Amino acid sequence: MWGFYIEQLIHSLPFFLKGLWMTIAVSGLSLVLGTVIGFIWGIIRASRSRVAKSVIGAWVDIIRGTPFLVQIFIIFFIMPEFGIQLEAFPAAVIALTNLAACFICEIVSAGIQAVPWGQKEAATSTGLNWFQQLRYVIMPQSMRMILPPLVGQYVLLIKDSSVVSAIGVMDVTRVGWLTVQRIPQGLLVFGLVAILYFVICYPLIQLSSILEKRLSSGYTP
Amino acid sequence: MIEFKDVHKWFDELHVLKGINLKVDPAEVLVVCGPSGSGKSTLIRCINRLEPIQKGELIVDDMKVHDSKTNMTKLRAEIGFVFQQFNLYPHMTALQNVTLAPMKVRKTAKKDAEDMGRYVLEKVGLGDKLHQFPAQLSGGQQQRVAIARGLCMRPKIMLFDEPTSALDPEMINEVLEVMRNLAREGMTMIVVTHEMGFAREVSHRVAIMDFGELIEIAPPDEFFAHPKSERTKQFLSKILTH
Repeated sequence: MWGFYIEQLIHSLPFFLKGLWMTIAVSGLSLVLGTVIGFIWGIIRASRSRVAKSVIGAWVDIIRGTPFLVQIFIIFFIMPEFGIQLEAFPAAVIALTNLAACFICEIVSAGIQAVPWGQKEAATSTGLNWFQQLRYVIMPQSMRMILPPLVGQYVLLIKDSSVVSAIGVMDVTRVGWLTVQRIPQGLLVFGLVAILYFVICYPLIQLSSILEKRLSSGYTP
Repeated sequence: MIEFKDVHKWFDELHVLKGINLKVDPAEVLVVCGPSGSGKSTLIRCINRLEPIQKGELIVDDMKVHDSKTNMTKLRAEIGFVFQQFNLYPHMTALQNVTLAPMKVRKTAKKDAEDMGRYVLEKVGLGDKLHQFPAQLSGGQQQRVAIARGLCMRPKIMLFDEPTSALDPEMINEVLEVMRNLAREGMTMIVVTHEMGFAREVSHRVAIMDFGELIEIAPPDEFFAHPKSERTKQFLSKILTH
């Protein structure tokens, strides 16, 4: 019997690869956008502007304190009530981008705040403006603290992207759901799904630990 | 060059500068001493607006520091500031540390900035350490790079906030020597320090602060030999006999 199912599964492999491609598209797009937005939010959150800081802080807390599945339902099912109609794909990208931005915002602002205050004062006292301080003095130092957890966060977000299958995005998880109805071998089907996620995530896990090792040493040539 | 007119500064409720009046002339070397928490660091940090003042006037090189419209970038470029903790950029070599501001603020070409950087680092005795990172330098060497970083901007004024307090005793002198040379060349300097030997030998005037007020200010001979106020006598007896 197993042999028959495996053969069936091999036949549906193109279907899985399509799903894998969708997973990569949703998470890739969201991670790029989320990183850009997350860095901007994180920089503001670490700044001295009180209002912007607390608005972003509150938003990040709301998103971190609610399930991603619920967020995606709100965007996909409830926004239309207010006249915002979205296809599944853009809804998924928006939801995941927002989630990514919130987590990355926290990582970035922690990294910036970990740079000693004296660095900023030294840069200020030589006449560097706000942007130059950030660009040449603060960020090069905080990147060492930001990069390892950032890559780790990417792994978590790629796995979280499986939630978008709930609104009908044909990602690799949804392909699994559909396939298991034809091939009633859950272990086999979702084993394949798991392997496909692992193939994307494992290099990133490795990268994160390499970065951790390399960046935790001191500043020497 | 620097003029304080009834300058007040508060940290929330705490009144840290209580009506400072002080004038520093070009090429003058002023040493400021006093117990910790007396406001002496705050005093010099106000000069390049690392700390804003709340009341009074503060005029530096004909620019109004108390006026929020003043272009601080321009003013800060004219003032070198040396911190107790050096605050060198750890991800840059000594040469990169000293050339960053000239290139970005003064828009000096890289080659010219590096020529200048080499010259200044040579001058503070670190001509052989151009490409070392701060972590590879001793405390005294780091502080000399920090002084060079200030000098590379060709400032009109140099401010020193306890520049030797974080150093091992055997490294203090190499830093003071650099400062002595600067004073000889006619740099306008305000130095917050407890190095009374330096004050006696190099400064034109010595000031003492306590509880946010300037208690006494006088040329070193007078200051050390005939202090006027009781507080100065007390402070000197503590600091000179230890």
